[in-house]
Amino acid sequence: MLKWVSEFFSFAKNYIIFALLLSLSFFLISTNNNIHTRGLQTIGLVTTSYLEDGISQIASYFSLSSKNKELQQENAGLIDMAAKIRRALTENDQLRSMLRLRNESATPLTPANVVGRTSEDGRYFITLDAGENNGVHIGDPVVSGSGLVGTVFAVSGNFCLVRSLLDNDSRIAARLVNASADGIIVPGELGNLEMKNVSRRYGVNKGDLIETSTLSSLVPPGIIVGVVTDAIDETGNIFKHIDVQPAVDLSSISTAFVMQYSRPKEATELETKTAGSKK
Amino acid sequence: MTRRLIGYIVIGIITIFVQKFVDNFASINLVSPQLIILFVVYIALREGQLFGMGGGFVVGIMHDLLVTHFLGFTSFVSVIAGFVAGFFYKESDVELTARNFNFAWISVITLLASEFAALPIIASGELNFFYVFLKFTLGTTVYTSVFAMIIVFINGNKSRYV
Repeated sequence: MLKWVSEFFSFAKNYIIFALLLSLSFFLISTNNNIHTRGLQTIGLVTTSYLEDGISQIASYFSLSSKNKELQQENAGLIDMAAKIRRALTENDQLRSMLRLRNESATPLTPANVVGRTSEDGRYFITLDAGENNGVHIGDPVVSGSGLVGTVFAVSGNFCLVRSLLDNDSRIAARLVNASADGIIVPGELGNLEMKNVSRRYGVNKGDLIETSTLSSLVPPGIIVGVVTDAIDETGNIFKHIDVQPAVDLSSISTAFVMQYSRPKEATELETKTAGSKK
Repeated sequence: MTRRLIGYIVIGIITIFVQKFVDNFASINLVSPQLIILFVVYIALREGQLFGMGGGFVVGIMHDLLVTHFLGFTSFVSVIAGFVAGFFYKESDVELTARNFNFAWISVITLLASEFAALPIIASGELNFFYVFLKFTLGTTVYTSVFAMIIVFINGNKSRYV
């Protein structure tokens, strides 16, 4: 009997062990929700978590280069988006102030977009997409929501060229609001303006507002030109040296209004008559 | 034998961690190559059915403990793999069986058998049994076979096809 059992076992040992191991596996599968097995699973989990952490660090080290590239691309996209937002905000501010100006202005205004800029050898022109077809004439003042831009220098059917305040040949009669002193606004240095012909006897301070004068034959009075940044009494000069920061940032302006302004005919005729009788 | 045993233990541990890596990075729609089964086939062809089953059980338990955290499943599949692959064990021609092209098709048969046996466990709660069969049984077999072929090519014994 024992021999028979021994022979049977040596013949079928593989099958018996196979059955035993399968049974053991089934038993383990059935005990997966058992509290004791959970402890064993936790130990395994803790052991591998350290290893996984190490592997993930190695993997992340190797992916740093591509990650860096991705971030650089994202950064470039964000810079572009930030620039667009900044431009949109600036344009929004300009349009809001222009809307305010349009509502308040007594003079008819023709809206126009800035389509070009020319600044070379002391020339500073701006091209607008409004021309004779829109009622624009040579000499018409051009303003933005912040203040005076310049005057129309040349005009075609659909476009006009504006001589800005920074152009070397630009001369605009202006008035210091606080001091009630008139003078001439000419281009200054480094994108600034200068106010000439203001007597030393006037008290001029930094931050004083300058607007167009009633004496001007080109532009209506009361349009803001800029603010005083410096006022100096120079030795041997009866006039003050006044530096002015323009109210309009000409480098970023994108829209403007052409004012259909003409000086009262009666005043012009009277001045012509007087000049004629003197001759 | 002791040196060989130590060698198997080392390779077994490495296989478990490589399997973990492969599960994370080479898995296609939850189907990943079963390198552990390939390891079990290899030891069964080298050392016989008993050793294959025993080794499969141990490596399977370790894999369950450290990787799947579902005790018993991989050991179940690996024991079946060791049992099936053990039938192809030839004592007189161990090297030839374990290292040449035979390894690939023996692996395919073993994988089909073991994954099919595990189908009721995988498909528990799944109504579409045929879909599970196609995806996990056939999918795993095909995917793992690719790795088996790679092992064969690495061994460089293609010309000794029997």
